[in-house]
Amino acid sequence: MANKVMSMEEAIERFVRDGDTVFLGGLVSGEPYAAVHEIIRQRKRNLAVSKGAGVLILDMLIGAGCVRRAITSYIWNPVYKPAHAFRRAVQEGIPHPIELEEYSFLTLSLAFFAGALDLPFVATRSLLGTDILAKSPLLAERVKVIDSPFTEKPVALIGPIKHDVGIIHVQRVDEEGNAQAWGPLASDKWGIHSCSKVIITAEEIVPSDVIRKDPQRTIVPGFRVDAVVEEPWSSYPDYMPGYYDRDWKYFPVYYEATKTEEGFNRYLEEWVHGVKSRKEYLAKIGQAKLNELKAEPWQGSPVSYGRYTTF
Amino acid sequence: MDFTPREMMIVAAAREIKDGEKLLTGAYWPILPSILAKRTHAPNAIFVFEGGMICNWAPARIPLIAHDPTNLSCAVMCGDLLDALGMVVHGGWADVGFLSASSVDKYGNVNTTCVGDYLNPKVRLPGSGGASDIASGAKRVIIILEQSRDRFPEKVDFITTPVFLQGSDSREKAGLRPSGPNVVVTNLGVFRFEEDSKEMYLDSYHPGVSVDEIKANVGWELKISPQVKETRPPTALELKVLREEVDPQGMYLRDVRLQGFI
Repeated sequence: MANKVMSMEEAIERFVRDGDTVFLGGLVSGEPYAAVHEIIRQRKRNLAVSKGAGVLILDMLIGAGCVRRAITSYIWNPVYKPAHAFRRAVQEGIPHPIELEEYSFLTLSLAFFAGALDLPFVATRSLLGTDILAKSPLLAERVKVIDSPFTEKPVALIGPIKHDVGIIHVQRVDEEGNAQAWGPLASDKWGIHSCSKVIITAEEIVPSDVIRKDPQRTIVPGFRVDAVVEEPWSSYPDYMPGYYDRDWKYFPVYYEATKTEEGFNRYLEEWVHGVKSRKEYLAKIGQAKLNELKAEPWQGSPVSYGRYTTF
Repeated sequence: MDFTPREMMIVAAAREIKDGEKLLTGAYWPILPSILAKRTHAPNAIFVFEGGMICNWAPARIPLIAHDPTNLSCAVMCGDLLDALGMVVHGGWADVGFLSASSVDKYGNVNTTCVGDYLNPKVRLPGSGGASDIASGAKRVIIILEQSRDRFPEKVDFITTPVFLQGSDSREKAGLRPSGPNVVVTNLGVFRFEEDSKEMYLDSYHPGVSVDEIKANVGWELKISPQVKETRPPTALELKVLREEVDPQGMYLRDVRLQGFI
């Protein structure tokens, strides 16, 4: 049995190739920043990056020149501030023009679902009547409106999206890759299931026994997983349910720092290229900040599935 | 009783929520009136967040975004997007889709995608997120935004979020289920939609705001209800709850969340 446990550097080096279609999980929680920083550090190019809500991560990848195509429904710097690198790419073609395959969040998630189940398409009413469909030549290739054979009313058919590789950040995983996550899962589950290769990054690697005592929490079974990376604080500056809060102060700093192309590049030089790993990045952030963000524990009662060993 | 236009906007929006309703609450402005309603006249309201959280408690601190970690300790269910936008919204269980908007037009359509041409935009906005799905699937929508003329164009540059499309029966013809009664709430007044034409009209102007001022901040010849009235001002209780329980740090009320932070 191959050993799947490896460093972030090795996982990205082996499983993310130039030109790949890459799924990234997260929706403010479980944001795979550590993996993304490594993708940028290794200067991956021409990626089609797929993320339900791209938020900051997609802005960073676009500004870093890694992205050929963005597949998403939303790119913004929460709280209430524009994503500068995204705007520069779309409005001015800096650092280079990008293709935009832009959906609504539900329809993109349905496309992942179709990819995961290998369905020819999924039907929905979402997107009907919108300019998301009418004004995007790229989306017109991916979504078709027909009259339903059952009702004769218009329906939108969403084509499947399959990815070469996917990365999600979860709370815990065993060495086989059985990955457990809790919190709002957004499009993580169906997104990761639509990937040929799967990288799981986790706050901690736990024994399989822990996984087997609450298998409901598992969102990806180990046999689907190629790489397992233990990398605590991967979701910083966003949050990880049960582990740490969001660093609200980070986002206005990123906003100011990345207002210009030069500012963005300086930011990357310092915080991404200037460190060799997430551990070095965290050392630069400082333990005091991390201690501030650690989540107060709030536990319920453990569940029992029962043991059935004799007749 | 002193109150700001912003406080009036939040109170007016909160009043649109009925007790027991299931709300799909979108980012930013909808958060305040949702929590205010739950802490006043709608204690049984249920919040659904598009990432998959279904919450039946008011949060311990004011959520600064819809997917704020503070919502985790109020959630009775943590599912995923297909649960929230799929089952709850498109399955037909969302009483209210509560949305903010960059701009809204005569037929309630919202633009959060771009100013100018989509393929060559003057300004790129964030995109839909779940907003488009919410408007196409919720039973009705409440749209909240701070008003100015350029945010109320006759026709939005881009229909991100479909409400009444081109008016009349164009929504049904496009294949969407009916939606309504819909409402737009701003810091100037409250707007509803005519039954047949689906055109927006002014239903009430906030205290201290004239109908002329509102018309000047709308990019078309705004229809005025023959029964147009003054919005009932906030009560002492509504203001107390809003200022002391919902947003005591002034994160939204005084823009603290935007000022390099706490």
